[in-house]
Amino acid sequence: MGTAYWLTNVRLETGYRRENGVVAGTDASLFHILIKDGKFARIAQATETLADDLPQKDAKGLLALPSFIEKHVHLDKTLLGEPWRAVIPVANIIERCEIEKRALPALPTTTQERAENLLSVLLSYGSTHVRTHVDIYPEAGISNLESVQAALATYANRVTHEIVAFPQHGLLRTDAQPLLREALRQGATHVGGVDPATVDGDLEQSLHQMMELAVEANAGVDLHLHDPGHLGTFTMKRLAAMTVDAGWQGRVAISHAFALGDIPVPEAEEMATILREAGITIISSVPFSRAIPPVSLLHQNGVDVALGCDNIFDTWQPYGNGDVLERLWRLAERNRWLDELALSQSLRFITGGKTTLDANGTQLWPAVGEEASLVLVEASCSAEAIARRADRQAVFFKGSQVAGQVEEATTTKG
Amino acid sequence: MKASPYWIINARLECGYEWEQGVVTGTRTELCDLLIENGKITRIVPSSEILEDGVPKKDAKGLLILPAMAEKHIHLEKTYYGGPWKATTPVKNLFERHAEDRTLLPMYLQQAQAGAESILSLLVATGVTHVRTHCHVDPTVGLGFLEGMLRAFETFTDKVSHEIVAFPHYGMLRTQARETVREALRQGATHVGGVDPGGVDQDIERSLQTIMELAVEADADIDLHLHDPGHLGLFTIKRIAAMTEEAGWQGRVTISHALGLGDVSLEEAREVAQQLATLGISIASTVPINRPTIPIPLLHKAGVAVMLGNDSLTDNWTPFGSGDLLEKAGRLAERFRLTDERSLGVALGFVTEGRIPLDDAGNRLWPLVGDEASLMAVEAASSAEAVARRAKRRVVLFQGNRVAGEW
Repeated sequence: MGTAYWLTNVRLETGYRRENGVVAGTDASLFHILIKDGKFARIAQATETLADDLPQKDAKGLLALPSFIEKHVHLDKTLLGEPWRAVIPVANIIERCEIEKRALPALPTTTQERAENLLSVLLSYGSTHVRTHVDIYPEAGISNLESVQAALATYANRVTHEIVAFPQHGLLRTDAQPLLREALRQGATHVGGVDPATVDGDLEQSLHQMMELAVEANAGVDLHLHDPGHLGTFTMKRLAAMTVDAGWQGRVAISHAFALGDIPVPEAEEMATILREAGITIISSVPFSRAIPPVSLLHQNGVDVALGCDNIFDTWQPYGNGDVLERLWRLAERNRWLDELALSQSLRFITGGKTTLDANGTQLWPAVGEEASLVLVEASCSAEAIARRADRQAVFFKGSQVAGQVEEATTTKG
Repeated sequence: MKASPYWIINARLECGYEWEQGVVTGTRTELCDLLIENGKITRIVPSSEILEDGVPKKDAKGLLILPAMAEKHIHLEKTYYGGPWKATTPVKNLFERHAEDRTLLPMYLQQAQAGAESILSLLVATGVTHVRTHCHVDPTVGLGFLEGMLRAFETFTDKVSHEIVAFPHYGMLRTQARETVREALRQGATHVGGVDPGGVDQDIERSLQTIMELAVEADADIDLHLHDPGHLGLFTIKRIAAMTEEAGWQGRVTISHALGLGDVSLEEAREVAQQLATLGISIASTVPINRPTIPIPLLHKAGVAVMLGNDSLTDNWTPFGSGDLLEKAGRLAERFRLTDERSLGVALGFVTEGRIPLDDAGNRLWPLVGDEASLMAVEAASSAEAVARRAKRRVVLFQGNRVAGEW
């Protein structure tokens, strides 16, 4: 940062190509982009000869996309860097929690090391912003927060972050309120929670405490809600009401929100209205193993939707590779977003709403003045990048190359 | 084509399980040297033994050795793979997609061999050494696609073995494809195909009868596409089962997709699964996630052979195929919450025609002396890790010959 250079021969999307009124392809051409002080300072046609003496990096025709946002991950849970171990079968979730409590502290590697391993992977796939949950519970205190903060500090010039103080074993069940309060003082940006009904047993009191903590600390909220069917939607309605009461619109997210996938379409539409009016974001990891929220319906009804990889090789799940673009690919396959326009516009779910083109094909990104955080991929357009899970060649964060490789051009004059 | 004998040294083989309180918690492995001779594994000795026979050696450097994979449902004949990106055009129903498909036939026909070879290169690199492809034949396209497939497999003859299903894509009856299918079976197709005797052909009984007659006449196996949902699909499966029994075609029939099994109750699925197991009718699946997935663990438990395929990589039907069967096995595991060491290890069998390294007790099933040396060397500690973590494949052998990667 602070320096200026040209990123040359970058492929940018310029519009949609229509056949019989249907978007049949995406037009793109090559540009030189001047990056200065971490921002896009100028975007010139690649046919233009660069007359200045600024350094150049050659993107060699790779497509630029806005860098990605990983919206739901557990940096403190991963086993990355440890030898392989499968998940131990358990009879119930309580046993699962106990195994995790015992297993993680016994590992030879530290939570910070493993979190850094995962950050490195997330970044290599193009995520430059991460929202992580960190487990807060009596036996561990806020140690996971501290370890994850140390890891994020290592990545401070590569990744921005949000940290959710997450009472994994129940806010009420483990009497975690004082610890969460402490975590919020020590840098957590969000209050978390999990299944106020089935984990905490007192839906109202659980939500109430969570909101109270958020208001007191002026923090956001991100609730894990696996509770299915009408138990789940009832919980959402109560959270929406409390969100509006507290004036917390735009600051609350519900992760998983499986219940939205269990109810009939008219009810889902009604829920979408409630969520939109409360400014509540829905976050999904697109699991294969159950019904998930109807993302198209939510988006069409004005609800923000974001994706995350969730568990990546930990004591809960052995799968997951940290590629949020692959999560979007899953979502596209699941929803049969097969055509150019649907694929292209779906990029918004992993970029905080950014797409390169609007639905009419008008160029939206990149724009001069915007932060130069981008991913260079081997694809001709966004739609291809998503459907074919394009290889990521380089990642830039506020103008600095933070993953992959782009060569310095050997000659500075074109 | 058989190379002279050689040893693969320091090959990691699974040799048993670790148990805690009656539960498998890990897989034990040992380093072995494998003698490869005439396309087979003819000796397996511990790596601690010093080999002084002067036979050349390749060093696996501790990579895990797993059986090579079998791609059991793909359409090699129509693909965009290897060419420029093209998204799918929105359509209202299957028949609109057929109509679009028809307009693309000249293009697909022209590049049939090249497209197939592009996909085969990818499949081999990911560890596949056997491929069953469906191949569109009917009076309109004749045997054009079949000729392309035969040439592509000729190119890959030292790398993959193959089966070709003569597939009347727009309906056996609807396109009056019987004669063309018959001719295809004479010209190198190994299986009779078909599609939705109800939904497409509109006459379940006659459609199935035609398929069975062609199969019996040519002494060929059968692989039928069945997308028909719910009880229509279930009924069709029962009719196939009945005809399989009548014809004595046990062990020779595959139903691809069998989507109806994902729509009916578990009791109904279990009942028909027993029938399928008894008759040796296998199921090929892509593990769909855009509709209810068929209950694969239930079928497996009932003794039905379930095999996976990529179906398609990118074409005018769908753009999403990665072409990686090991990823498919991982998807299956994730879909059905198979998370423990044994379940993940067993899941490998869905992409290897059932070959897995260990049985329930941890005794070695593969490789055994005499097994074909078609295998992949991967970066993993066990088959469970390979499935869950989509292990990197480093070297692939087909009948003893290295067909991808470097030792």
